[in-house]
Amino acid sequence: MVDVNLSEAEKTFIVHGIQDNFREDGRSNEEYRQMDLETGLMSNTSGSARLRLANTEILVGVKAELEEPKPEKPDVGRLEFFVDCSANAAPEFEGRGGEELATEMMNLLYRAYSASTVLDVSSLCLQSGKLCWVLYVDVLLLECGGNLFDAASIAVKAALFNTKIPSVKVRQEEGEETELEVSDDPYDVRRLDVSAAPTVLTLSKIGHNHIVDASQKEEACCLARLMMAVTASGSVTATVKEGRGSLDPDSITEMMQVGKRVGKAVNEKLLETLKEEEQKGLKRKTVGFLR
Amino acid sequence: MAAPMVKVPGQRLARKDETTKPGTGTYEQNGFIYSSLAGCVQKETSSDGSVQISVITDVQQTVVPSVEAIVTARITNVTPRFCKCSILTVGKIPLKEPFRGMIRKEDVRATEKDKVETYKCFRPGDIVVARVLSLGDSQSYLLTTAENELGVVIATSEAGASLVPISWCKMQCPRTLAEEFRKVARVQQEFLQYTDT
Amino acid sequence: MPDTRRITGPEETQSPFAFCPQFLAQSAEAFSDGKRRDGRKAEADHRPVFLKAGLISQAKGSAFAELDKTKVVCAVYGPHEVARREDFSMQGQISCEVKFAPFSCRVRRQHVQDGREKDLSTQLLEALEPAVRLDSFPKSQVDVFVTVLENDGSALSAAITCASLALADAGIEMYDLVVACTARIHGTSILVDPSFSEENLKTVSGEKPGGQVTLGFMPSLRQVSALCYHGDTDLDVLSQATQRCQDTCHKLYQVVQDTLVKSVEQRMNNS
Repeated sequence: MVDVNLSEAEKTFIVHGIQDNFREDGRSNEEYRQMDLETGLMSNTSGSARLRLANTEILVGVKAELEEPKPEKPDVGRLEFFVDCSANAAPEFEGRGGEELATEMMNLLYRAYSASTVLDVSSLCLQSGKLCWVLYVDVLLLECGGNLFDAASIAVKAALFNTKIPSVKVRQEEGEETELEVSDDPYDVRRLDVSAAPTVLTLSKIGHNHIVDASQKEEACCLARLMMAVTASGSVTATVKEGRGSLDPDSITEMMQVGKRVGKAVNEKLLETLKEEEQKGLKRKTVGFLR
Repeated sequence: MAAPMVKVPGQRLARKDETTKPGTGTYEQNGFIYSSLAGCVQKETSSDGSVQISVITDVQQTVVPSVEAIVTARITNVTPRFCKCSILTVGKIPLKEPFRGMIRKEDVRATEKDKVETYKCFRPGDIVVARVLSLGDSQSYLLTTAENELGVVIATSEAGASLVPISWCKMQCPRTLAEEFRKVARVQQEFLQYTDT
Repeated sequence: MPDTRRITGPEETQSPFAFCPQFLAQSAEAFSDGKRRDGRKAEADHRPVFLKAGLISQAKGSAFAELDKTKVVCAVYGPHEVARREDFSMQGQISCEVKFAPFSCRVRRQHVQDGREKDLSTQLLEALEPAVRLDSFPKSQVDVFVTVLENDGSALSAAITCASLALADAGIEMYDLVVACTARIHGTSILVDPSFSEENLKTVSGEKPGGQVTLGFMPSLRQVSALCYHGDTDLDVLSQATQRCQDTCHKLYQVVQDTLVKSVEQRMNNS
């Protein structure tokens, strides 16, 4: 993560504030910052979303392609994640500088979406062993303002909600080659059911307490983080502990309880917002980038 | 003699109080002394009655040049402003992989620092004994030879023979009897041999 | 880049297992005749463990771990100068590399590190960093190389335990040893230390798919140094599984301690 330089006094100030459940910007320990979400911005993708969480800006594009399924899983389609930390966000991301952070984010996304109940990937398969839809989810990090993992996962879920896969008719006659008919009608599309898709919640341990949605300064004081991928029904699909410090087993249980509660709330609110936005249709006003 | 106790990292050794002190290979937490190495426990009682507990391992100790340590290095580069060298041992313990060190012009000797000509103090290939001044920067450690006991110990002359020290600033080749300039380390008393004149 | 050192065979190769139906068919049953698939009786039974420290003479420290059929070897080199000059810090660094031998899994692996191995390397680093005293070797780097010789499940936890044993054998100052354990959640049962076939159990229809959790634990200090889980379960089942892993780690700690003590005594007798 991009580091800010904090003095010992500033760190103590932040730690004390968190102890009293009153953070630097006035939030409580379990509050998120203001989020702005927009979907369907890019015409070249099957689905896209832009999320702005205070100073963090993430852009996700989903492209659906027809490919052969993996030999050990012939009946299912798949999701492929790719994260790119653009040099816009921080000069040290230039070239291969952001690779470590990008790999971590990709690994977490793969882990969160690995369970079969999260997304119905078997419906993405058109012909067993021969043809399936592969969804390439590309995440672009435009600005770094702390809490990148959460923002990326929320944007990914929104983009998947927005994804429109064209209907395909597969015709195979005896002895003849398979014929594909991809519909070019923009309204003859299939949507994905993302109600069981997870969003990541990062809980940072600072002092003896833990906080949700850490800003960059708070991240600099934190020694250990627990990242949980929680679905709308409250089940957990991935958990990773990250950071140089170690965690007490009791505080892990506490953090997971908080994570489940807040994660459920975030998921519900997200689905609500996405449905609202969709209902507005073409009449909604779009806001520009990096505003 | 009772076999010494073998401890592993994380095992509690003793409670920390005024008489017990943590030594090498141990750390203190929450009022207890824990072991941080896998080795034998050694208890040393000092003159004022306090006991120092340390854990000794016979694996070559994890040695990294620390500040104020005496190191032996081989000179690799000589420029008018500084000399680059490769640190071979820390104290008596040889390193498996050398670290990089640097001796600045003003750290070569204690007197007349500004009139130092590095080419007259060190040559590439010389073995020097130096003291670590600081951890330096990401590239190399900072060393100094500004003491009587520090400086060149082994050097080869231009003819190929091993140079013999004759004064604090000169060494002589035994084959050609030519004198070369070096910043020589003071030879220990036991290695001096007096002739009968 | 074409590999000119090995004869890789034609590009259109296929695994013979694709044509063998009984290998592909994953069972959904964890238990048969009241025993687990590899003969263990209880859910909480760990496979027999064999550990040895100090086997690679060239390395500063090394260790070998065997969990029934899973075999892992680890070598530690260092501390030496940091390879990348820009990283100047008053604390030392650890660099971990986990590699599966090409013959270690059912399907042949590539000799280049792939995404999964890089992920395991990151997890191993997470597990070891809290336990090592990094300020004892400033400006230097310690390399930890782990090779999985045979993978029959629980490869990551074997790697973590093996690596911390190797670090202690190398004489690197640590706050505590790290012991790791994996648990597979399948339906309502929590299988501790799953074998490869248990890790790939098919979901019982109608039930949640379960998941797999690996816990890296420091038994003396009672702190968790690594936690990684993927799957789809309820939080209480996950907490239960983590607790089960913790208890197993306490049992394993005794074995790790005895191995280290034995290797130190052996070294003392040899010198």
